[in-house]
Amino acid sequence: MELKEKLKILSDSAKYDASCSSSGSYRKNNGIGNAAPAGICHSFSSDGRCISLLKILLTNCCIFDCKYCINRKTNNIKRAIFTSEEICNLTINFYKRNYIEGLFLSSGIIKNPDYTMELLIETITLLRNKYHFSGYIHAKAIPGANNNLVKKLGLLVDRLSANIELPTEESIKLLAPNKNSNKVENIMNLIKNSKSRKFVPAGQSTQMIIGASKESDYEIISKSEYMYNKYNLKRVFYSAYISVNKDKYLPTLELPPLKRENRLYQADWLLRFYGFKTNDLLDQNNPNFNILLDPKANWALKHMEEFPKEITTCTYNDLLKIPGIGLKSAKRIITSRNKFKINFNDLKNMGIVLKRAKYFITCNGKYFIDSSLLKKQFIETNLILEDKEKINKSITQLSLFNE
Amino acid sequence: MNNIYIYNTFINLLNLIELLINNKIKPYNIKDESYYRNLFDNIINLEQNNNIDIIPIIIKKIGIKNFNIIYKVFLSNENNKELIIYYFYLNYLKYKEKVLYMKNLKCVNKALKISKHVGNEAHKLKGFVRFKELKNNVLYAEIEPTNNILEIISLHFKKRMPNEYWCICDNKRNIISIYNKEKIIFIPKDKFNFLTNELSNNENNIENLWTTFYKTIGIETRKNDRCRMNFMPKKYWKYIIEMKEEL
Repeated sequence: MELKEKLKILSDSAKYDASCSSSGSYRKNNGIGNAAPAGICHSFSSDGRCISLLKILLTNCCIFDCKYCINRKTNNIKRAIFTSEEICNLTINFYKRNYIEGLFLSSGIIKNPDYTMELLIETITLLRNKYHFSGYIHAKAIPGANNNLVKKLGLLVDRLSANIELPTEESIKLLAPNKNSNKVENIMNLIKNSKSRKFVPAGQSTQMIIGASKESDYEIISKSEYMYNKYNLKRVFYSAYISVNKDKYLPTLELPPLKRENRLYQADWLLRFYGFKTNDLLDQNNPNFNILLDPKANWALKHMEEFPKEITTCTYNDLLKIPGIGLKSAKRIITSRNKFKINFNDLKNMGIVLKRAKYFITCNGKYFIDSSLLKKQFIETNLILEDKEKINKSITQLSLFNE
Repeated sequence: MNNIYIYNTFINLLNLIELLINNKIKPYNIKDESYYRNLFDNIINLEQNNNIDIIPIIIKKIGIKNFNIIYKVFLSNENNKELIIYYFYLNYLKYKEKVLYMKNLKCVNKALKISKHVGNEAHKLKGFVRFKELKNNVLYAEIEPTNNILEIISLHFKKRMPNEYWCICDNKRNIISIYNKEKIIFIPKDKFNFLTNELSNNENNIENLWTTFYKTIGIETRKNDRCRMNFMPKKYWKYIIEMKEEL
């Protein structure tokens, strides 16, 4: 098979993995390449996702039969396998021309987990030792492989990840009968407990598919919170389910649930950086996010008794609870108010957007808008209206492009 | 009369600003040599002081972080960047570190905004530069950035590919940076002769593979042109090989 054909098959099979970050690692250059701590995006694909890594599978042959996966063994698709040299050559040649930041190597399970893992290790060893490549490498650990192999691979790569795919054991049994979450969590545990600094320096991540199974947002976010706390994950990626197979256990969706995915990412950020807990955002009676309103605004409207917050005196953690104020804005407010008395004008000069925040703050005791208007209903309709305007705008502008 | 002071290089500009501030002179404007004289201008051409010691002197006064702000403003495309640097420096000496939070001061606000803008563009270009391999194994790239970020990205590639010969050409400013596995030199484009501009035998093949990869990796049901355009503005597409077909 020609290399081009192989690349087409094996990147097509890899594209459903959401992870593409190249940040958080530092590696000394001893040949070609280094890892930029901030991460660099080299291109953006037609779906607007960043391309920073050469995202390919070593092979799309797979002994597993996961219902949602394009590469499941019962699918009649073209199969291919890269040789180690082919992968190394592609990586080095793309890297030299600055197309990519590094390699993201995953694989279908060929023969058995251990054999697949050995192939991955062989390829990456060749790339690191013979081609002296010091750029970023993200590899997938194969669940069920021998612990020693995971440790060996971990020393070669910057990031190692194992996908949990579905949030509950029940749906795993239903949709991915050959998998079980214990094996995945075993790998996460192994990575977490390693003490060496050279072992997976950029940390581990995982991914969950959204909308292929029946779980609510509450169950998904609870699972994320559990994994963040237990395994120190850097990221959990959420991937809106795309109908690639027909199966009686799978929903038939015309379009992936992108808005839901977006809400989950917003909630994920709230968990990691804003001091929120899953139970603040959702509960058994309210298990799904409001599609019309972002999770933080939704939370704020339910807790109107905590607002307004006084910008000049409230704590950093309180600032983070205000809708429309992010990490950078909160830091800016803190550093500035330590040096000066700030007013609404200063906030604008600092580059803080009051569009959403104005309903929830006072500055030196003053409201930004007429305080008699500040009723829950009024704020809610205004916040939703804003989002709608944004959506309408994008639709009209897109149609302009099409004409 | 409007007193316009003239400088030629960055070092020279720093020396000039230091001199003006020490003598408490407020310039009407500071311009580089290519400045075209207006009717009421009084052009002042002081002796060109190119003493490189000025850099440690300034860094000692304002710290390396703020020196970098000044440097990035200098690299920008802003019209009155020299004056912005002058007032930023002046205000820093007056208010010290506090000045960074005085966003009500126009020059400070502008300096910070511009330096951020330049930094952002440099970061983007670190990703968007595309090298082509020539017959003689030299990697060659062309760029047309809004700001003069050639120096910043050249240093980045020196760290990244220390064992390759490469050069990056800024077509907008006609400067080329050349790396010979030891150091980078910057020279005007017309003073440099390429021994060859023929592409290596493998080049078309690799570009073809990359374009194939690019087309396959996008997910059709998630197509979002607007989002892509936000992250990868059209002004850069000219030299991004995978975008050529869509241009």
